[in-house]
Amino acid sequence: MPTSWPTGKRALREERSFATVAEEHLDDVYRYLLYMTGNSHLAEDLAAETFERALKRWRRFDPRRGAARTWLCQLARGAALDHFRSEQRRRKREGVYASDIPELDETVFGEGLSPELDRAVRSLSAAEREVIVLRVVLELDGETAARVLGIRPTAVSTRLSRALQKLEERMVSDVRG
Amino acid sequence: MSEASYLVELREAAPPAPERLREVIRALPTAERRRTLRFRPALAGAAAIAVAVGLGAAVIGGVTNSSNGNGTRTSAEGLAFQPNASAHDAAGQAARLPAWKALRSKDRSIILAPSLTAKSRLQRQDVSMSLRVKDLSGATQRAVATTRRLGGFVATADYSTDASAGNSRLIVRVPNGNLQKAIASFTQLGTILSQHISVTDLQVGVDRLDKRIAGARRAGDKNKATRLLRRRAALVREGTYAKVSLQLTTTKPAAKHVAPTRFDRFWDNTKDILGKELIAVLYALVIAGPFVLLAALAILGERARRRRADHRLLEEAG
Repeated sequence: MPTSWPTGKRALREERSFATVAEEHLDDVYRYLLYMTGNSHLAEDLAAETFERALKRWRRFDPRRGAARTWLCQLARGAALDHFRSEQRRRKREGVYASDIPELDETVFGEGLSPELDRAVRSLSAAEREVIVLRVVLELDGETAARVLGIRPTAVSTRLSRALQKLEERMVSDVRG
Repeated sequence: MSEASYLVELREAAPPAPERLREVIRALPTAERRRTLRFRPALAGAAAIAVAVGLGAAVIGGVTNSSNGNGTRTSAEGLAFQPNASAHDAAGQAARLPAWKALRSKDRSIILAPSLTAKSRLQRQDVSMSLRVKDLSGATQRAVATTRRLGGFVATADYSTDASAGNSRLIVRVPNGNLQKAIASFTQLGTILSQHISVTDLQVGVDRLDKRIAGARRAGDKNKATRLLRRRAALVREGTYAKVSLQLTTTKPAAKHVAPTRFDRFWDNTKDILGKELIAVLYALVIAGPFVLLAALAILGERARRRRADHRLLEEAG
């Protein structure tokens, strides 16, 4: 199964339905939102919202300008940012500063993930987890990740390097106790 | 734990979407993607259409104006030969015929001597003609001979030649009754370059003098009557002989006038319209350019600000 849309003249010939594209990239969108929010329930809600937005904008989607996965990740990022903004406003309004990430014993970022790695990932900021999920988990190349984030590829490399370094440090400190 | 191993672990442990989310997505209504108007090709298409419309307007304007060219010129020439009707009205008013260029006298012999006079009235007639001749000496001699033959006389003669050109200026007086014949003869001397005919009615002045003379006689004022009679005689003399100023030259016009072809007029009009369109576009660019630049800078600045704000928000989000 291809991971991206055909581009150029081929794209004009090969029309694919929204349902096919949604089914194909649902896992990627969910994982991306899970890493950004650190909350599986919230990631589910935002993924549903992302695909609703995608459905509304499907007519405007042009495969020649980028792959469907990139487009969906951009929409997912917009949905997540909207959520964070509304949460920020709510916190300012209510004066409540509560952690979004549930402090549960179960792992958030995958069943088979070691507890120390899961805790280290949780301790990162959403921005750091975002670049890790794009480059490591979804295996997007630097250019595509940069397009999703709206920055230059070199900035993506820098952010990824810092995020991984921080992740390692957290894991080491966690192991040392 | 090596770096590669935890990265692989992250990748392999990444959870799939829950089944209930999958069901939600499957329940979404189907939508077919439709080709939409894209901004850049649409902009390029609009620009192409604008250029085509501009060129089309220029071509249509050029064709239309080039076809109107002949009609305008003909009517202008026709007007040039229309005598002013007011010449017959009051004293002091003149009928003038504008000059025209390079008319062959034989083609225009009928209208070159328009009848502007009324035989029952006393009128002063002044004619000014400019002609280009091949033989200056012969033309001058023929003009003098014609004047004498018609009962007139030469008032002034000025004849000059040099290596390249020659000019002859004659002021002749011919009886009013033979003026038409004189003009017809003079037009045969060469190519008419310009002509000016002026007719001034003197009858009103003569009638007024007659009344004043009769009044002076009734009053027994002989001196005044004599003075008025002299003035009347001078006025009658003035109205008896027409003054003809004849300018003969061998100088050719600086540039031979060549009537433009329809294609020349079309091309000139098209260039004119295209030039105006270009000026309009440049004006629009000069006026709108700074605003467009400011708007672009504002958009870029807003994007950068928003990007930084989003990153800060994600950095703060745990």
